[in-house]
Amino acid sequence: MLAKDFPQFRPVLPGTRDAAIAITLNVNDQDQVLYVTASDKLSRVLRRSLDLTGLKEGCLEGECGACTVLINDEPVNSCLVLAFQVQGKRILTIEGMEASEGRLSRLQQAFLDKGAVQCGFCTPGMVLSAQGLLNRNPHPDEAEIRHALAGNLCRCTGFQSIVEAIKSVAVQ
Amino acid sequence: MTDFVRAARPNDLGDVTAITGRSTGSIAFIAGGTDLIIAHENLPWPDLIIDITGIAELDFVDVTETAVQIGAATTMSTLDRHKGIRKSLPLLAQASAQVGSAQIRNRATIGGNIASAVPAGDLLPVLKCLEVRIEILRHDGRTEVLEFDDVVVGSGETSLGNGDLITGIVLPLKHGANRISAFAKIGMREVLTIARLNMAIAANYDQAANRVSDIRVVAGAVGPLPLRLPAVEAVFQGRVIDQSLADDFLNALVSEIDNAIPGRYSQSYKRRAIIGLGLDLLRDLFDREFSPALPLMEPV
Ligand SMILES: Cc1cc2nc3c(=O)[nH]c(=O)nc-3n(C[C@H](O)[C@H](O)[C@H](O)COP(=O)(O)OP(=O)(O)OC[C@H]3O[C@@H](n4cnc5c(N)ncnc54)[C@H](O)[C@@H]3O)c2cc1C
Ligand code: FES
Ligand code: FES
Repeated sequence: MLAKDFPQFRPVLPGTRDAAIAITLNVNDQDQVLYVTASDKLSRVLRRSLDLTGLKEGCLEGECGACTVLINDEPVNSCLVLAFQVQGKRILTIEGMEASEGRLSRLQQAFLDKGAVQCGFCTPGMVLSAQGLLNRNPHPDEAEIRHALAGNLCRCTGFQSIVEAIKSVAVQ
Repeated sequence: MTDFVRAARPNDLGDVTAITGRSTGSIAFIAGGTDLIIAHENLPWPDLIIDITGIAELDFVDVTETAVQIGAATTMSTLDRHKGIRKSLPLLAQASAQVGSAQIRNRATIGGNIASAVPAGDLLPVLKCLEVRIEILRHDGRTEVLEFDDVVVGSGETSLGNGDLITGIVLPLKHGANRISAFAKIGMREVLTIARLNMAIAANYDQAANRVSDIRVVAGAVGPLPLRLPAVEAVFQGRVIDQSLADDFLNALVSEIDNAIPGRYSQSYKRRAIIGLGLDLLRDLFDREFSPALPLMEPV
């Protein structure tokens, strides 16, 4: 599904009296107007207001990386960003990674091909961290890949298959 | 006082003082948010949150022949990647590169590291070692330039008042091209780790004579504030850099740290860790290997 399929605005915290702040931003190539409160976290707003539930809220402390999104092409933990801070920014979530409608990107396909997805909880964050690395460095070596993934925890795969998946895209 | 939290996203420093000057409630600046958001997980937010990441005047690095200036909202990633910083202040680039993860470094700022004043803050020993001065914009619009020790005054404690903003750091490059420096830290694992101990060293190195002068050694995470280690610095006085100096350096490190944090870790872990840290620093500084001071290595 693409962001454009979703309604543009839903109250973030229905029933609260916090003043709403209107922000404009671009999420997955769609311009959006969102109404947020001062202390709303980006992770929560993307999940609740835009139904972008690919990103996960795991630790909410910057340790697990499950909430990773790209802001202006750089990976960040969306649980440690206040939504009003991304006014005017460009955000990419896993939902916006498809090469075209219904077709996975090469990186996503590589994760499947190399068996780098087990329970899948870490996967969106892993893919976006890897994409962030490849944006800056199209041919990373294994050490650079592991360094870039230091902020993404996986409890299932043992990381090797994830590294292999990224390597297979990196060498091409 | 308001009964809800307000937010502001000023575009320049004039707007900041326009806001702070007339605001009566509590104010929190937010930059990367990597400390602030976690701190407010279980605490109420202040009346006003001011995001400083939209202020271009706070996001810059300027390296000239004679001085370095860095805006407070400059991220660790920017410092790590900046060619001028890597060349002129390698220890600052090294410390920035070792903060958290890629995601954290893309947000975490130098100003936030100072203002949080966490004892384990990786930039703190570096900034003290470099004798930087910190530029402040008071809530009423006055500007001041203070020494590091006059800003970071305790564990989690600064001299900043409500609405006072750090705008940047400045340091004159008073030493020549023979200034060498290094940073290292140890934690519980290799990456994404809060330092258990970190250390910054800078010195003038006369390669022909193989001696250093004007050395500053500052350790972090050993007490509430970064700690200069004069006894370690004294070891280098008038000595050539060789294995016997390395032994004395490592010994001095161990006893200084013993004094600073008695009994916080098992002696044997601590000693090994510190020796490892010291060897990393020596290798970085002098580009050659030294061996551990043997008498200090206890069997595991
Ligand atoms: C997972 C994780 C790992 C981490 N690893 C490390 C590490 O390895 N080493 C390390 O040193 N730190 C680490 N940190 C801590 C943190 O990332 C750093 O201290 C960072 O530099 C804080 O900067 P920030 O811009 O995110 O600050 P924020 O969270 O935005 O602000 C922190 C505090 O400083 C104030 N503040 C921010 N900017 C200014 C300013 N310009 N003037 C006045 N006040 C200001 C805020 O009001 C707040 O009180 C880690 C944090 C996390 C979550
Ligand atoms: S939920 Fe954001 S890093 Fe874990
Ligand atoms: S696949 Fe389960 S956490 Fe990574």
